Parts: sequence; structure tokens; C-alpha cells
Amino acid sequence: MASITKLSRHQARMGYFFITPTLLLFVIFTVIPVIMAFYLSFTNYDIVSKNDFVGLDNYKRLVDDNIFWTTLKNVLYYSVLYIPLNIAISLSLAVLFMRKRIGVKLFRTAGYLPTLTSGVAAATVWIWLLNPEFGLVNDILSKFGIAGPSWLAEMPYAMISIVFVTLWQSVGANMVIYLAGLNGVPEHLYESAKLDGANGWQSFRYITWPALRPTTFFVSTMAIIGALQLFDQAFVLTKGGPANSTKTTVYHIYTQGFGQLQMGYADAMAFALSLIILVFSLVNMKLNKEEDAMI
Amino acid sequence: MKKWMTVITAVSLSLSLAACTTKTATDQTNTTKQPESTAAPATTAAAAKKAPVEITFWGDWGGEGEKQFVMMADAFNKSQDRIKVKYVLQEDMITKFLTAATSGGSPDIMFWDRWRTSLYASKNVLQPIDEYVKKDGINRGDYYEEALKELSSGDKLYGLPLTVDARALFYNKKLFAEKGLQPPKTWDELENAAKQLTIWEGDKLVRSGMSMNDNGLYNMWLQQAGGTMMTSDLKKTNFNTDQGKQVLDFWDKLINKDKVYKVGFEKGLGEGTDAFVTGKVAMTYTGPWMLSTYKKYGKDLDFGVVPPPTGPSGGKGSVMGGFGLVIPTGSKHKDEAWEFEKWWLANKDNALLWAKTSLNLPGFKPALQDPFFKDDPLWKPFMDTLDFAKIRPQHPGYSVMEVDGLMPNLELFIQGKQDAATALKKGQEQGDKLLEQNASGK
Repeated sequence: MASITKLSRHQARMGYFFITPTLLLFVIFTVIPVIMAFYLSFTNYDIVSKNDFVGLDNYKRLVDDNIFWTTLKNVLYYSVLYIPLNIAISLSLAVLFMRKRIGVKLFRTAGYLPTLTSGVAAATVWIWLLNPEFGLVNDILSKFGIAGPSWLAEMPYAMISIVFVTLWQSVGANMVIYLAGLNGVPEHLYESAKLDGANGWQSFRYITWPALRPTTFFVSTMAIIGALQLFDQAFVLTKGGPANSTKTTVYHIYTQGFGQLQMGYADAMAFALSLIILVFSLVNMKLNKEEDAMI
Repeated sequence: MKKWMTVITAVSLSLSLAACTTKTATDQTNTTKQPESTAAPATTAAAAKKAPVEITFWGDWGGEGEKQFVMMADAFNKSQDRIKVKYVLQEDMITKFLTAATSGGSPDIMFWDRWRTSLYASKNVLQPIDEYVKKDGINRGDYYEEALKELSSGDKLYGLPLTVDARALFYNKKLFAEKGLQPPKTWDELENAAKQLTIWEGDKLVRSGMSMNDNGLYNMWLQQAGGTMMTSDLKKTNFNTDQGKQVLDFWDKLINKDKVYKVGFEKGLGEGTDAFVTGKVAMTYTGPWMLSTYKKYGKDLDFGVVPPPTGPSGGKGSVMGGFGLVIPTGSKHKDEAWEFEKWWLANKDNALLWAKTSLNLPGFKPALQDPFFKDDPLWKPFMDTLDFAKIRPQHPGYSVMEVDGLMPNLELFIQGKQDAATALKKGQEQGDKLLEQNASGK
């Protein structure tokens, strides 16, 4: 007995020893900056000359800041379109590429490829493809007699284009995660379902989907966080336009902080945003838990 | 026969001479990099008393721009032996500068986009140079008043202008000749030319007569109509006026009635496929920085430049911008930094050297008198434009007001989602609020 506790104590010590560097880095570069940023959100910090405590002024200003609310509305709209589509498409791709057929590896690679390009580079190419008169997208549409819009410069289409481009870029990575999840579903469940006469849809609905719940939870949580923090693509594709319809919260935080030197206010916005992300993640967690209870 | 011989010998001689000089020039740079000991015995004892002061010069121009800056630093280093300038490329210069300004490690001199001055000077991170200017007898008349104004905040001057620029109208000569048109001098002529040069094929715009891509040019159109963006006390917006309305009505006519442009037409067309280069846009407002790009296309693009056409009541307008050199407050060698700035920006030869290499209009007026700029048909229109061009209003919140307050409302107007009066009214309300929120000292 004694030797076992001794061993586990030794293991625990070694464990702590091994995670110390990571933990230290985490504290220095994540925990401390977050605490500092929280403090700074109550000051009029401008990076260079002043840092006075102003109480809740920044948060009061936030309530009155139309652009902040517009950007929030934009990212929520984006999330509503982006997250379900992301899950649906990446899961369908994974199910499709799960089957062992000739050439499937090629398709898997092709599906994953867009993830490897940098967001800015991909967006730059998409700007060109989406040009109303000379872009490939409208060229193809015109073959079917459809006059495509100015994708990135007209009001409802700009955000849809951003959803499309970010989907194109991110479903590959989620597909790989789903593929891993699918590999973990025990084969015998499908076999017994088949014996019971379940069709393809039924075995997906009652075996695959529930079994993939942890994966879906992970993918959706990451998608929520990513969506609410959208920046690169909106910055490159549309610069927030037309008429601020694609301006995102992070973009607004960036311009206020680094462009206008109002870092205190930018911090306050960042905290408001992180609070919102937290709420959405909690809701997501709750939803997943409830479904767990049903089965 | 004999004459030919002399010509050939002269040419070959001068060529070999040129080769020699370049070689010695590089040799010299090599020796300056060597330890001072080799140079010391040759110079007098007084000059050799201590090592040169090294100063750091920050800029965010890489590639060709970096080479040109390094060339100037080298030329300055060679001109004297007390100060040594080192150019450091900082891709994200402003962000880096902000941290450097507070934590030490500040550069001694910095390449500076002038419009930033009103935002940064109030934070005391830039060194006023009024005393230096007085001491060295720099003549303020040698610079554009507007450019100096843009480098000032309060009643202090923070730097000297390195370049000056303003937008002027670029037009495609070949397309104009085909229609027998003259470059426009007024809004009416502009509209007429744009209408005649536009080609539609059904729903598809094949060629646009006039680029209406950049709503940010509202400021210059407004000046042409006789208006201003902000009140003269620089506290509130001033575009919700009859003049402001005139501009929007004219834009509406061009875009929605004459259909000389289509929203998003030029989006994503890079250098090689640029709509003006490929003749898909017949006229466009842009600045001297595009000259070298467009010249590259030589015969494929025959273009001319004229000052911006005047508005209905004869108003002229363009927005002046450009760069300067500033000395951060954190610099430990301000005197030396000023020496370098003065050498570069208050000396005709040096200002010209960089201007000619980098193809920028120099901020130092005597250098502009050089035939290279004065007699060139492509540079001349810019110099004419600079005579009336005005800088952006000096308010720390101006750019935010323009980008977040006015522009979104103009875009809604252009897309037919709100009328001109609403666009201007909402732009004013939102703009005034942003000006207040982003005023300095808050």
C-alpha cells in the first residue's frame, strides 16, 4: 500500500513538474494580461500618456455607442448563418468521406486544403473571384442567365459573401474533427441496427448523431467563439462596408484601441464581447447537456 | 570619320568613368563600415576625438522604399562624420512606436504620415521643432503652408514635410481621342465625358466613364462645390449643407441616372488588372503615387493628368496629404536627429535626390522648381492642384467621423436605401457624436 501512494505521489510531482513551464507561460501571457486588461477597462488608458481611473465611464459610453451595437448585430447575424451551416456541411463531408471508396483520400485532402491557406491570402483571392463584372462567380452565374450582384459592395450580399468565404475556409478543419469522431463510433452498433432493419437515416439519427455529441459540442463551441471574434475576412474583403453592414466587433475594438488610442474604452468593449461569448458558450453547453439527458 | 571616333571615345570614356565612380562609391561605403581606426589617421585630431553618435530612423516602407531610405541614410553618413543614421524597417510602425514611446527604445527620427499629427501630438510623444527651425533660420515659405499646418498641433510645429500629394484626374488619352473629347475642366464636362465613354452590354458594365469607387473623396468634391467638412472652429461637422447636397445630387446623377459606374466595379482588380490600366475605367481620381505604376504600362496605357474639375460655382478642391519626418520625445539624440532632418528636408539637392529616386513630389518647394518636376506634363498638374489643395481638418476624431459617421450613410444613399437629405442629416448626427467622443484630452 505504502509503495503505491509513494509511487502516485511521485507521479503527481512529476506531473506538476512537467506542466510547470506551460502553466507559467499561461499565467504570464494569459491570466495576468486579462486581469490587467480588466483593470484598464476602468481607466482612460491611451497607451502613451495617461492612465487615470474613470470608473464606469467606458461602460456607460458603450451603452450609447451605436457602432458597437451595429457590430454586435453583425456578428450575431453572421453566427446565425455560419454556425449551423458549418456543422451541417462539415458533418456531411465527414460522413461522405468516411466511406472507403477509390479517391476518397484525394477528396479529403482537397476538402482540408483551404484551411491551410492564410485567411488574408484567401480573402484576397476571393475579392477577385467575386468581382461583379470580371469575377469567376458571376461569370458562371451568367451562363445560367443570372445577373449576379456586386457581392462585396451591395448590402445584403456582403455579409453572405463573408459567410461563404469563411465556411469555405473552415469546414475542412471541422471535417477532420468529425472524421476522427466517426472513427470512434463502434461498428457493432451499426451492425445490430442493420439487423433490426434500420435504414441509413435512422442509423445516422439514432447512432451517429448521438455518438458524435462531444464532437459537435467541441466544433460548435469553437465556431461560436470564432464567429463572434470574426476579423480578418471582414477586414480584407469589405473593410466593414457597405454602410458598416459587415463591420465586426473586434474590428471596432481594434480601430478604437490602436487607431484612436482609446485603449481603456477598447478594453471595456473587449470585456463586453468576452462576456457575450461566455454566455453563448454556456447556452451551447446547456443545450448539449439537455439532449444528453433525453437519451 | 574623325568626329565619330571622338564621340565613341568620349562615350566609352564617360562610361568607364561612371563605372569607376560607382565602384569608388561602394568602396567608400565599405570603408565606413570598417572600424574607425583606418580613417582616423587621415583626418584631423579634432574630428577623431570620438566615435559618431548613432541614431535610429524608423519607417514602414519596405522593398524599394527601404532601399531609398537606406540610400539617404548612407549619403548623410558620408556627408559628415559626427552622426551615423541607421534605417530600421518597422512593418507595424505605429503600434511598435506606441510601446516604444512608453518603455524606452524609442527611435530618434520617424517617417510620419502627417494626418496622424493631431492625434499624437496632444499625447506628448512628439518633439516640437520650433526652436530648431528658428535657430537654423529655416524659411517656412519654402514649404506648403497646408503641409506645415498638418504637422502642427496647437501652435507648435512637429516636423518638416517630406512629400506632398493630392488627387488629380487621370484620364485615358486614347479613349478621349476616340470620342474627340477634351479633358474636363468642370463638373458638366466631366459628366458629359463620363457619359460618352461608358459602355454597357445589357446588364453588364463593360467600360465605366468615371470611377466612383471611393466615397472617401467626398471631402474633395465638397470643396469643389464650395463647402467644407468641418466648421471653421473645427468642433462640428459642416457637410449637411446645400453644398453637401449638391455633391450627392451630382453623384446620384452620375451613378444612378447616367449610369457611368456600378458599385463594386473595381473591387479586387489588382495592379495588372487595374481598371484604369486595362481601359475599363476612362477617368479616375488618384494621386501621384500611381504615376510610376501607370507609366510601367507604357504604350498599353496612354494617359494624361489634369487638376480636378471645378464645381458648379467654380470652386476648386483637392485634399493634400503626404509624409514628413518627426522626432519622438523619447529620442536620446534629438539634436542629431534634427541635423539629419534638416540635411534631408531643408536642402534642395538632398530633397531632390530622394524625390527623384522615389518618384515623390518633395515637400521642399525649391526642389519642386527642378525641371524634373516643373516641366513634366504628368507632374505639373499635381503641382497646380497643390496650389489650392487643403489638408484634412485637424481633429483627432476626423478619420473616425469620416469612416464611421459619414461613409456608411453615403453608401446607403448610393445604394438607394436612403435619400440625400437623410444621408447628410444622419451623417451629421453620427459624425458630431464621434467627433466629441474622439476629441483629444478626453
